[in-house]
Amino acid sequence: MIWVNVIIQGILVGGFYALFACGLSLMFGVLKVINLAHGDMAVVAAYVAVLLSPHLHIAMLWSFLVVVPIFGLLGYVLQRTLIQRSIDRDPFTTLLVTFGLSVVIENLLLELYTANGRTVDIGSIIAQSWHPGSIVYISYVSLVVLAIAVLVLAILQLFLSKSRTGRLIRAVADDREAAQLSGANYKHIFGIAAAIAFATVALAGIAYGMMTQFAPTSGGVNLLFAFEAVVIGGIGSLWGTLVGGIALGVAQQFGAHLNPQYQVLAGNLLFLAVLAVRPQGLFGKKTALA
Amino acid sequence: MKDEITPASPDGIPGWGGFEFGRRLGLQATAVMAATGALGVLGDVSAAHAATKSSTIKIGYVSPRTGALADFAGPDNFVLNQIRKASYFAKGITIGKTHYRIEITEKDTQSLGNVAVQVTQELINSGVDLVLVSSAPETTIPVATTCEQYKVPCVSTVVPWEAYWGGFSGASISPQGAATGTGPKYNSMFFFGVPQFAGTFVPMWERVQKMTKCNTNVAEMFPNDADGNAFRAAFGPTVSAMYPKGGYNFVDGGAYTDLSTDYTSMIQTFKTGGKGGAACDLFVNAPLPPDFQTFWTQASQQNYNPKLATVAKVMLFPTDAYALGSLSNNIATDAWFTPYAPYKSSLTGQSANAFCALYQSQGNGQWVQSMGSTYSLFEIAIEGLKRVKNPHDRLALAQALQTVNYNGMCGPINMNFKSSNPMLASPAKGIGMIMPVGVQWKPGSTELVGHKKYQWSQWVVDNSLNKHVPLNGTLEPTNA
Repeated sequence: MIWVNVIIQGILVGGFYALFACGLSLMFGVLKVINLAHGDMAVVAAYVAVLLSPHLHIAMLWSFLVVVPIFGLLGYVLQRTLIQRSIDRDPFTTLLVTFGLSVVIENLLLELYTANGRTVDIGSIIAQSWHPGSIVYISYVSLVVLAIAVLVLAILQLFLSKSRTGRLIRAVADDREAAQLSGANYKHIFGIAAAIAFATVALAGIAYGMMTQFAPTSGGVNLLFAFEAVVIGGIGSLWGTLVGGIALGVAQQFGAHLNPQYQVLAGNLLFLAVLAVRPQGLFGKKTALA
Repeated sequence: MKDEITPASPDGIPGWGGFEFGRRLGLQATAVMAATGALGVLGDVSAAHAATKSSTIKIGYVSPRTGALADFAGPDNFVLNQIRKASYFAKGITIGKTHYRIEITEKDTQSLGNVAVQVTQELINSGVDLVLVSSAPETTIPVATTCEQYKVPCVSTVVPWEAYWGGFSGASISPQGAATGTGPKYNSMFFFGVPQFAGTFVPMWERVQKMTKCNTNVAEMFPNDADGNAFRAAFGPTVSAMYPKGGYNFVDGGAYTDLSTDYTSMIQTFKTGGKGGAACDLFVNAPLPPDFQTFWTQASQQNYNPKLATVAKVMLFPTDAYALGSLSNNIATDAWFTPYAPYKSSLTGQSANAFCALYQSQGNGQWVQSMGSTYSLFEIAIEGLKRVKNPHDRLALAQALQTVNYNGMCGPINMNFKSSNPMLASPAKGIGMIMPVGVQWKPGSTELVGHKKYQWSQWVVDNSLNKHVPLNGTLEPTNA
């Protein structure tokens, strides 16, 4: 039963990693941009939720209704201005630009809101759980986060395969020049992809703020886990990101079960093993690496 | 100068052997100093030269105003305001035949060790005569070791004395828990150490055991950082040595990484890791504040409900309790300063109670423990200055500070107390001990200080170590 619990708790944590990694995966897969400011964007979203809720007179739980659209817009604007310009130069510029963005965001937050920890306060529900039996307790909040992760990834997958815009996004991702020749405005398409990515990162940031405390510098460690989830799952595959997140979560729980000291290490070892054995990731196509 | 060493206990407390308490923080400070060292030394020499003639005494005060430890420095503005109004600071002090003005410069460490070193160097370069520093080893050790290196007097507080002592090269903690080696020349401190944590927590465990017939398995949540490793090495052995009849069985949750997002495996260990697969009914920890919130929430989710939680380093401040909400109920911790002790300011005669009531009436929220210790740093500065002929003579001032003996906001503090009682004696010259009491978080009441009701307040439930402080609450199990 202990191992069942390890796996269940791993899946729950993995759901959060997948939600966090979803935006990174999209930016990586479509725009070929490794957004190093991804974690910081999530933290910004959590700050916006905490600071905006009292002004809007809504419970913090519902703040995502406001924050997610704001971040969608922010993603589009940021893509059309800053990120697109750096893509136009070369891939290394995007790395530098997003890294710079990360540093600027952390320091701005530090300057504006000090380094004090904050929480997205949703009341006593955070401490409650469902007890299906034996030693297994399932936190409602973690369960909801996992459900949201699955839902978001399913909607995105449907959107990419069925809708016109989704097909355009895939077309541009596969072969930008060919799509352009067929009349696609790839800059607009990139903007939409970035908007979706930022909207999901806002969700992840608010979920993170509910589950624990955040501070201006909290983005970094989560970026690492998100990045590992994307690589384990396979670049360009959204379902892969879900599986990658869950695999990472289970590996960490497994390590923690041996000794809490090995929690982070076990996840990193899985990441290394995947890189060594199957560099394109569990669900990745070999061509995605090119 | 050789420091006189007083052994902490004739029988000795095992568990300290080979343990490098706080050393890493001291080394970190040295490394940062090496990087910026040359500039610092130049500034130091010229500033010291200019200072010898000045009729202003410059005091630097360093604390973590922002960052993970910001709650400790929460009352700083209020306390500094009160200090600046006190006669010695408002009008100045006469030493010999010279009248000196006192100037206080405040610096923020952002809760980071390397920033702590940098701001200390800035203070030293600006020619301070004395540095005062408060709040957690992460802050005080880098500041104290930097001051020692530059030969500037420094007084620390809110740091376990073992961590403070171990931060200096040449000083170490013996396997019996005593201070050994050569101590610092320019540093002194007041607070308490691991035996006092044990002396505060264990009497509460014993009473809850009688109440609930709970077992003697103690869950230990200690992270893989300076404080956590120190507690892991010392706490259990200290308790076993001090209370050999208690039969406590310590269950280590493992050296987890700070700021982890998930503690379910550790919680599982605590639920089944006791003798015969029993749950740990007693709980003790020393984590970072955000980690305790995450852990305690997940413990509740996972149905781990220890009979009594005695926590160190967290739940010291009302903001922690407000953030945890109803999960705070009956969590016990230590309090080194409360408004309920019969202590008063050595600067103005203001009582601890009036001091806290004023803080609350000025809209600062509920009183916090660190306001007393921060206040006493400045009392000690004045006590030290009263004992020297030239306040700019750094060695003389540092030596005077190491023998301060007075009564103030935190009660009696004797920096060089010789006593047969190992709880009360100074472990070494320059270390003053104050005695904490056990407090529990419960819903607030207008009966408490300032007749103001807050959502959650600390009630004094155990005064085994300090009978000066009257009880005002009843010890109850954290989880019935």
